[in-house]
Amino acid sequence: MATEGRLTRRTVLGATATAVATPWLWRRAFAAEPIKIGMPTALTGALASVGQQQKRGAQYFAKLQNAKGGLIGRPIELLIEDTAGDPATCVRKAREMVERDKVRIFLGGMTLSSEALAIVPKLAAWNAIFMSSDDGDGRLTASDFVPNFFRANTSGPMDTRTVALWMRASPLKRFYGIGMDYAWGHDSVNSFEKLVKSEKRDFVGSVFSPIGTKDFSSYILKIREAKPDAVFIVMQGDDYVAFLTQAHEYRLSPKVQMLTSIVDLASTRAVGAAAQGLAGSTRYCYSYDIPANKKFVAMWQKAHGGALPDVFEGEEWQACEILAAGIAKAGSIEPAKLRPALETVAINSIKGHVAMRACDHQAVQQGFMVRVVEKPGASEPALDVIAVYPAAEVTPPCRKETYPD
Amino acid sequence: MTRWRAALSPSNCALLGAAALLALAPFVLPVYATTLATEALILGLFAMSLDLMVGYARLISFGHAAAYGLGAYACGYVLLHTALPMLGAIAAATLFAGVLAIGIAWVCTIATGVSFSMLTLAFAQLLYAVAFRWTSVTGASDGLAGIPRRPGPFGLALFDSRTGFYYLVLFCLAAGFLFCRALVSSPFGAVLRGIRENEAKTKALGYDTRRYKIAVVAIAYALGGLAGALYAPFAGFANTELLFWLLSGQVLIMVIVGGAGTLVGPILGAAFFLLASQILSAYTDSWALFFGLLFIAFVLFAPEGIWGLLTSRLVRPKARAATPDAAA
Repeated sequence: MATEGRLTRRTVLGATATAVATPWLWRRAFAAEPIKIGMPTALTGALASVGQQQKRGAQYFAKLQNAKGGLIGRPIELLIEDTAGDPATCVRKAREMVERDKVRIFLGGMTLSSEALAIVPKLAAWNAIFMSSDDGDGRLTASDFVPNFFRANTSGPMDTRTVALWMRASPLKRFYGIGMDYAWGHDSVNSFEKLVKSEKRDFVGSVFSPIGTKDFSSYILKIREAKPDAVFIVMQGDDYVAFLTQAHEYRLSPKVQMLTSIVDLASTRAVGAAAQGLAGSTRYCYSYDIPANKKFVAMWQKAHGGALPDVFEGEEWQACEILAAGIAKAGSIEPAKLRPALETVAINSIKGHVAMRACDHQAVQQGFMVRVVEKPGASEPALDVIAVYPAAEVTPPCRKETYPD
Repeated sequence: MTRWRAALSPSNCALLGAAALLALAPFVLPVYATTLATEALILGLFAMSLDLMVGYARLISFGHAAAYGLGAYACGYVLLHTALPMLGAIAAATLFAGVLAIGIAWVCTIATGVSFSMLTLAFAQLLYAVAFRWTSVTGASDGLAGIPRRPGPFGLALFDSRTGFYYLVLFCLAAGFLFCRALVSSPFGAVLRGIRENEAKTKALGYDTRRYKIAVVAIAYALGGLAGALYAPFAGFANTELLFWLLSGQVLIMVIVGGAGTLVGPILGAAFFLLASQILSAYTDSWALFFGLLFIAFVLFAPEGIWGLLTSRLVRPKARAATPDAAA
């Protein structure tokens, strides 16, 4: 009796394994001659919301492009796999895409900068091009620059720069910084501090909260005692939501201007009414009022049940457009031909005029400052573009993370 | 005569066959599969090292990622900042993990049972926090990237290629396995089993059980460190995830799914874990859910793990034939 039970189990297990593996093998073996684009993406884990946005953006672009007959006469095939935000998994999946699927183009994906930094040293050996759509680390186009890496998105230093340009024209005098207690938080708050001082304003203090902090009352008290005009926040996820909510509850935020480096719909939605008045730079904003963007937003809403495109959906779209323009120009996806073509790509995107530059492969583009506002009758806070800064002022000098002025 | 017969026992023949198959693998497998197999063997070594503690001395560690991470960071740091060749860096990292483990084990073995497990977890999290903050050495949240496979000594570049590295890993795993097998069948191993079954009794027999426990933890960490040290030049980077509790949990799953206390089982468990997560995640974002179900199924229906399933099929029919009474 026991033996019979075992046999059945084995059969069931075997059948399941075969059933799982077969379509996968078939799909790999009998695909046509598409342009394969690899996207190892953080679809689960702490940055899943960003990864899911990247996935939606790329899938929507591929769908529309394929409906138009693909690129250079070939359909686009996206290979999107979950990395859970872990660089080790990201490298494994990327390597497998190169070795198994002969992928020559990677598109962000690679949601975390740590994933990108792990991939970038391998691009030459893999003979593959990587078009980033969200990796912000300044080093990727400076000290860690490699010829096969391109950045279509606004970088971290460009985010901060936009806030600085806005600060110059604002009456705010005293600034405070709060960040999550690890490298990213410290780096960003430190560079903001330098920036404040170079603008001849007062930086009155900074504080760092451990990841996963739930109660910010002591931090808020500390900030209030320093009497700043504005607080620069470097946080993400639950911590960010908790801080903004509590700052509102303790009546800090109506009196003190809340500033941050990336304002997006997903977090402001989570914070709700407490986000009102928050200002900051953003990489893409649905409400940027130019014809190309209006058209894109209308199309997107139609295809996504009325949902507005968020920051990383817009950024992904722009990255796809730049990549597609490069491929069309090169007439090939061979890195040796694609690289020089991409180096001179310039398009009118949903963020205005964007041009890739050859010296460090950073896309030169405008900077946006937005504010969260309550729109009468709307169910959620809206984002208003309050300032747009020209690309020449926002983009750092070639292979630099810092600005001369 | 008996020694020869023992050397040619069915289990030894099976192992030799498996080793021969693995040695031929790079010639048969497509390149990506060779790379995946390399990673599976590295994880296999890692899981086997934990089996020494879990399967033979019942020292359940919730922080074995500490060994892996220590090895990976040490090897990566040496390769990035010194001129030492890869083989030297791997040896140094192995030694480093083993020596540091003596201190860790000295503290952890003050406690037993769940408290021991929690202490191992605490140490791993401590190392994780250190790696997260010590920017100048560990690169903080970005980790160490661009770790080279430096040839040498004497310009020996045998292990730099994909296939060469595979054989290096295979050699380390085989050597590690033979060492562990000799260890568990030695008098030292007998004392470990004594600790597993009844520590008080073993102590009463005059053995200083704590010293034995410290020794086995140090050996397990050294082997786990070796696995980590191989991983750093394999992947080209090391980061904080390699020290995270998630990996500690995963390696424990590999040991349990493979079959604890068998040495071979955890190697199979690691390969199974890697392949299953790789295939499932290509299919669905909720791959972790299905993997969890698989794990539950193993614990409920095959508590002896993959190795237990295999041996019950290979060995039992014979045993049954020998003792017809038992079969009836």
